[in-house]
Amino acid sequence: MAELKIDNVYKSFGEEHILKGISLDVTDGEFIILVGPSGCGKSTLLNCIAGLEDVTTGDILLGDTNVTYEAPKDRDIAMVFQSYALYPNMNVRKNIAFGLEIRKMPKAEIAEEVARVAKLLQIEPLLDRKPSQLSGGQRQRVAMGRALARRPKIYLFDEPLSNLDAKLRVEMRTEMKKLHQRLGTTIVYVTHDQIEAMTLADRIAVMKGGIVQQFGTPQEVYDDPANMFVAGFMGSPSMNFLRCEVTKQEKDYAVQIESQGTIFQLPVDPKQADLSSYVGKTVVLGIRPEQITHVMPHLVAEQYITQVPVKIEVTEPTGADTLVLARINDQECECRVHPQEAGKVGESMELLFNMSKAVFFDEQTEARL
Amino acid sequence: MAKSKNPSYANINGRAVLYAVLIIVAAYYLLPLILMIVTSFRSMDEIRMGQLIEWPKTFSFDAWTMAWSEVQIGAREERGLRPYFINSILMVIPSVAISTILGALNGYVLSFWKFRGSELFFAALLIGCFLPFQAILLPQSQLLGWLGLSGSLVGLILTHVVYGVSFTTLFFRNYYVNLPHELVKAAKLDGAGFWVIFFRIILPLSAPILVVTVIWQFTQIWNDFLFGVVFSDPSTQPVTVGLNNMVNSSTGEKQYNVDMAGAIIAALPTIVVYVVAGKYFVRGLTAGSVKG
Repeated sequence: MAELKIDNVYKSFGEEHILKGISLDVTDGEFIILVGPSGCGKSTLLNCIAGLEDVTTGDILLGDTNVTYEAPKDRDIAMVFQSYALYPNMNVRKNIAFGLEIRKMPKAEIAEEVARVAKLLQIEPLLDRKPSQLSGGQRQRVAMGRALARRPKIYLFDEPLSNLDAKLRVEMRTEMKKLHQRLGTTIVYVTHDQIEAMTLADRIAVMKGGIVQQFGTPQEVYDDPANMFVAGFMGSPSMNFLRCEVTKQEKDYAVQIESQGTIFQLPVDPKQADLSSYVGKTVVLGIRPEQITHVMPHLVAEQYITQVPVKIEVTEPTGADTLVLARINDQECECRVHPQEAGKVGESMELLFNMSKAVFFDEQTEARL
Repeated sequence: MAKSKNPSYANINGRAVLYAVLIIVAAYYLLPLILMIVTSFRSMDEIRMGQLIEWPKTFSFDAWTMAWSEVQIGAREERGLRPYFINSILMVIPSVAISTILGALNGYVLSFWKFRGSELFFAALLIGCFLPFQAILLPQSQLLGWLGLSGSLVGLILTHVVYGVSFTTLFFRNYYVNLPHELVKAAKLDGAGFWVIFFRIILPLSAPILVVTVIWQFTQIWNDFLFGVVFSDPSTQPVTVGLNNMVNSSTGEKQYNVDMAGAIIAALPTIVVYVVAGKYFVRGLTAGSVKG
């Protein structure tokens, strides 16, 4: 176990710049998730940490040692791959033992270690099977077992759950979290699934275009996104972005929206943004679907809540909630309402806009205001 | 009504035509072999008196023993095809083994340990597949002369290895690029080095392509006549050259039965290899096209 420090790492393939100055500090025992759309450089960064790819410039420190120029085998890192990469010619026992054999561990200790890992992951009955005789979930466990056996300083996971079916993925997600809580190891985990990122991580690094857009706890990233990309990427269904004009009210500011021909002023919480220099200009209002709900009487009187009638264009029941697609400022806006309160398509429906968590972005730079 | 509307009749007719064509084609290819085998068991008297194509009246192995160890070939002391056959074996085993191992190593490096210019290196190596035998005869004999290997078995082996490496590399490289690269990454993180990964991970997964390569190289080298006739001297000539000399150096009457027996002897090892490993050959050639 150790802390990991990534210091201003650049990686280029010829003229193609994949990583453009990545710096991350990971403390001992932390579960870090690198998340972003495909091509954002997250897997490249993971390979750089593992030593499977050389960095162009910058340093990678593991504990107190600079491992930037060390071979992968000398870094004491274990990695779980998306395809599991189990050695097809070896049975499960050999797969787990391989790394230990290479490191010349005595036979008795290897057997002990394999037994420990097999018990931990409940794969004891599978030890004598070949990878081809295992199901996807079992292969995934074996791949984790292989990583766990060496007790390395840190663990790297490269989209380990993305080859599993939806139900198993959720199960394994929980199990992964339990395992981390039990072992307390440092983990860097790559995924493109923002739900996985939210549920598993101690801290999330949201990446795009080879740059870390934001590095923070799941709640910070969710509530307090650094820019429009992070806001849109995290959360499902994603945040609504409505272009609207800023107006000056008696003492505060508001943004102006139009629904079914009527104009409404949504008050802006000064804690969320200072829009004084944007009066009369257009900003992007970011408001999550769960902040636009059906009318709940106890909320109506609250300061930052506005009741707006909208026209329903589409409804999508998810069971727990129904998503209602409404048209605001001639832009689409997704709202999350109670299934029994949802109106029918084409009808008008009263909704509450809760502005206390709304965020605002510059229209041009997409930066947070 | 010319056309039957019953689909099952259409199926049967289609099948019948298909099998008829297949049987005709198979017979067409089998006929020469059958003729050779039949003739090799007939005596010369019978051949002389009877038809060219006829069932043997007497059945004898005389022609086979003649071809194997008794017939006079050229002005040699040793008789029969046996010394040539032994030369061929001595040549083909190391040639196949060395060119296959080199091909596997080349393919391994070109797939998993790419270096600056490795694609160019591979392209250059591929040119070797398109070089006709004739084009390298003169430079190769010059080279063997310089190395002091002219006319020796080692020189012949070297020639076959060098010529074969282009093909074996192509086979292995194309097989290895379809193996998941993450296997090698995982092994690197497990602490394995270049040779450990090759011998413990990659080579055990190479069985299908190994079979393909061995069959290919064995057939090529065993059947080769041109290198055999150019780069050998009388004591190191392979069986293809021996057969040619045997057929061409007969005095007096042409001994068809001995010629046929000799030709079968010369072809026997490749036939055996195909029969034993042909199943794997097809499987190996199509490996990678179907996952799993």
